[in-house]
Amino acid sequence: MPATTIAHRPQTIQSLIDGVERYNPENVNVLEEYLATQCKNGDYDLMANLAILKLYQFNPNLASTNVIINILAKALTAVPAPDFNLCLYLLSEQATLPAVEKLTTLQQLLEQSRYAKFWETYNNEEYKSLTAAVVGFEAAIRQVIARVVAMSHQVISTSVLSSYLALSGDELTKFCNEQQWQKKDDVVQIPINEDNEAKAVVVIENIKFEQLTKVIGYSNEM
Amino acid sequence: MYQDTFEEDDLVAEVELVAQARYSQQSDVEDNFDEDSTQQQPSAVQIPDGVRNFIMHFYRNVLDSNVYELHNIYDSSFNKLTDKYYTKQAWPEAEVIAPLVNDDQVFLTLYRELYYRHIYARLTPTLEHRVHSYENYCDLFNYILNSEGPVNLELPNQWLWDIIDEFIYQFQSFSNYRDRLKNKTEQEITLLRTSPQIWSCYSVLNVLYSFIQKSRINEQLLVSKNGGDMMEAAGEYGSRPLYKMLGYFSIVGLLRVHCLLGDYMLALKMMDNIVLNKKAMFARVTACHVTTYYYVGFAYMMMRRYADAIKAFSTVLAFIQRTKQYHARSYQFDQIAKKGDQMYALLAICIALCPTRLDENIHSQLREKYGEQLFKMQKGEESLPIYEDLWQYACPKFIAATGVNLTKTENDQLNDPHANQLKIFMSDIRNQIMLPTLRSFMKLYTTMGIDKLAKFLEVDAEELKVHLLILKQKSRQFKSVTGNLLEGEYMPTSDLDFCLKQDVVHIAESKVGRRYADWFLRNINRFEDIVAALEQKA
Repeated sequence: MPATTIAHRPQTIQSLIDGVERYNPENVNVLEEYLATQCKNGDYDLMANLAILKLYQFNPNLASTNVIINILAKALTAVPAPDFNLCLYLLSEQATLPAVEKLTTLQQLLEQSRYAKFWETYNNEEYKSLTAAVVGFEAAIRQVIARVVAMSHQVISTSVLSSYLALSGDELTKFCNEQQWQKKDDVVQIPINEDNEAKAVVVIENIKFEQLTKVIGYSNEM
Repeated sequence: MYQDTFEEDDLVAEVELVAQARYSQQSDVEDNFDEDSTQQQPSAVQIPDGVRNFIMHFYRNVLDSNVYELHNIYDSSFNKLTDKYYTKQAWPEAEVIAPLVNDDQVFLTLYRELYYRHIYARLTPTLEHRVHSYENYCDLFNYILNSEGPVNLELPNQWLWDIIDEFIYQFQSFSNYRDRLKNKTEQEITLLRTSPQIWSCYSVLNVLYSFIQKSRINEQLLVSKNGGDMMEAAGEYGSRPLYKMLGYFSIVGLLRVHCLLGDYMLALKMMDNIVLNKKAMFARVTACHVTTYYYVGFAYMMMRRYADAIKAFSTVLAFIQRTKQYHARSYQFDQIAKKGDQMYALLAICIALCPTRLDENIHSQLREKYGEQLFKMQKGEESLPIYEDLWQYACPKFIAATGVNLTKTENDQLNDPHANQLKIFMSDIRNQIMLPTLRSFMKLYTTMGIDKLAKFLEVDAEELKVHLLILKQKSRQFKSVTGNLLEGEYMPTSDLDFCLKQDVVHIAESKVGRRYADWFLRNINRFEDIVAALEQKA
């Protein structure tokens, strides 16, 4: 999804990040409040969050660790988009903070699709506390995982799916129904979509009629 | 710099290029500054006659705003005289030549720009030089931006681009210099700490944004993109070539500065209204053309949009190759060649991560330069140092936004933006190193059990599943479909696809059918032309 214009980005924020006001340190509060709103209602706005990090880059005295952690936690919900990395690129000193390193560990586990290990690590209090401010974090991560599963599987065994999502029993059934997957005993069937079809495609050349007009013209002259 | 006949290609060369061609042929006739001088090395006070004549000729043309002649002076004569007299020492200071030009401050500011650029290029600038050069740029930009009404100055495009380019280069050089704390005297460190505004990020950005705003270049480009006439949106300043080109080059300047600061998304956003094709205004100055594509490609690569990066690099590398013979005479040739080499390195990385078909010429050049590395990058663990080496060679010199290091003691960890970027990049690569091997095995089968495939790859089934999921994710990227650089669709970029049905992998490969229509059509037309020509002669 293109992150340059988000449907529900308020006009004030839009004009702020489009112009030179994004460099004005006095605007950092506006952007930080917008981030807090995102955390509460589940929205996500990459460009605005990157603008905060950029202000921190130019004014290190303004940097707030909490804000950085929330931005990174939000970026985790966007995997496999490179948002998390884009945020990391803008951190200078804060890159070595223990909190940042923990979140990076979580990101790596997600990128490597080691989902079982992800939940295992995440369930430690010191990790969980980092994402506490983001409402619906776990649900968002499950969406990320579900997307990858739906892209790559047509049939997946229930036990494997259960370990990927850290859900079991009734909760797992409920989740499958929400995703419109069919759970049958010990396998889950995922409907065919454009990504998990694995059809051999032959790309044939498409010759447009206009390209032939000159040639047809010659044959007319004969 | 080069004429506008490019084999069968219909590359449209702008007026500047034709004019330059005309002047480069006459350069030997015009360049008679040294007729009267003997081969004397200039002493501290004495200026050789050749140089003296040159300066007066230069000054006259600046006053007359004779852009064509100025281009010749700037590109050719200045460099020739530098080679002759000033390879090891600086040009005479502005104060020394001031009497020759009636103390014209504007001319002296322009002269100083060349003077400091020469020091940076051939000698080593001291802290004093850096500070004075910065102040000189401030004077120059103040004059252009803050005089009452637009100024009556006209300069060749090459010079305007070089002003912006050099300005950013000196900013970059200063940031790197500031962050290296060893070998600095207490005095220097104090000076650096107490004057944070010298070469500060904010002032550099301020200059670039001011040019863009004053010239209303973004509005002009938007009108042009929608098929209108740029002059409608130009305004008082923007209708003058000086401001328009400075505004345009500032956009590319911002693309570069944001990449140097690690903000790739904002970098690409700067290019919102510029369409990347042969007719774009950046094509008028080759160095600008090459720089634009380099940073666009690099930004895409760091955003993991490898398909788009490959397209950007291929386009400009093809351009450089086609026009190589016309550049060899230019003084910019070395720089362009170096950037070209760096782009081949980046292209090698992108191709290893996202195998795509390349144009034959580019591919053979790539194999020639980096064939061995390409081979090694397919080999799992061993490939990591290769990726790192190529990236280190080809990446720009990143800068830290503020002088944070100035307040650190010896035991604190220094802020190193370069190391930071490298670390993030390499962690990405590490997740993908198994993929080439996995891909090569999967191409051989249409279905295979997980256990069997795992045995082939010498990993256990769980590991294999992990890598398969990674492969699936990496085979889909954001790819730009419309002209807009940041937008794109999430689409498959690999010719290999698979799906998992419990413990069996079903693999599919997509093939491209043979394209014969284009070849036939072109040759049919050619033969018809030949036949028609023969009939005419008969």
